[in-house]
Amino acid sequence: MKNKEEHDAVQWLDLYGDALYRFALLRVQNSFTAEDLVQETLLAAYKSYENFSGKSTVKTWLTGILKHKILDYYRKTTPEHSDENLDDFAGSMGSMFDTREKWKIKPGDWGGDPKNVYQEKELLSVIFACLKNLPPRLSLAYRMREMEGATTKEICERFQTGENNCWVILHRARALLRRCLEINWFQEK
Amino acid sequence: MRHWIFSCKQISRLISESMDRKLPLSRRMGIRFHLMMCNLCRRYRKQLLFIRSLVKKNDLKNEFFCQALPDDARKRIKKELSEKTKEEQE
Repeated sequence: MKNKEEHDAVQWLDLYGDALYRFALLRVQNSFTAEDLVQETLLAAYKSYENFSGKSTVKTWLTGILKHKILDYYRKTTPEHSDENLDDFAGSMGSMFDTREKWKIKPGDWGGDPKNVYQEKELLSVIFACLKNLPPRLSLAYRMREMEGATTKEICERFQTGENNCWVILHRARALLRRCLEINWFQEK
Repeated sequence: MRHWIFSCKQISRLISESMDRKLPLSRRMGIRFHLMMCNLCRRYRKQLLFIRSLVKKNDLKNEFFCQALPDDARKRIKKELSEKTKEEQE
């Protein structure tokens, strides 16, 4: 049986506020938005406590609600109209291949995978820095797909475009991110 | 035969697409066939999958970003929550 004390939004804030905030901040990259999302999540959780099955932990349940809030937020913020950006990118992408469509800028040898958690963390910080520097549309699509596990259908709805286009957007995001990592991490070593 | 011969440029796109949906058989064969012969595309694919696996490690991400909810925000949210939840109870 769920007991009364558990149904306490202020207590959830004390216990899980930091974790939820971090989770949100990582995905929206704006501290004010992240704070708002935490508040909305706790309020929504308080109101829908009836639906909490008790099968998962409170933290998991709250994180699930937060995920929905983040996806909503992605949907609401209008995508920057950056078709120019995409064209720019098409240029830079094009130059990765020669006229015979073979690699011109060859993917480098990254050596082995990171040896330990410490290295992984460092690498991850480079990934996030790179994501911030991608054209906003690409970065958003990438985060929705790889961090939130959104389907391409959801991403298409968000960008109001056909599935084919979405795959291209994701392809470009991955290609640019990979290249950014290669320049800023693997070539440094 | 011709229709499953792809260039590196096309393969790079197909590799990404295969991470988002199940490709038709002819495309999958095309990728496999190309990768057998092309070291660079093999490398490219491995690196994309590696980045994906890293980004998906949730706990690592949370640990990495060790910022805490700022105090002023915490107070503000707490106030908001106490008010709103009190309303509900009344």
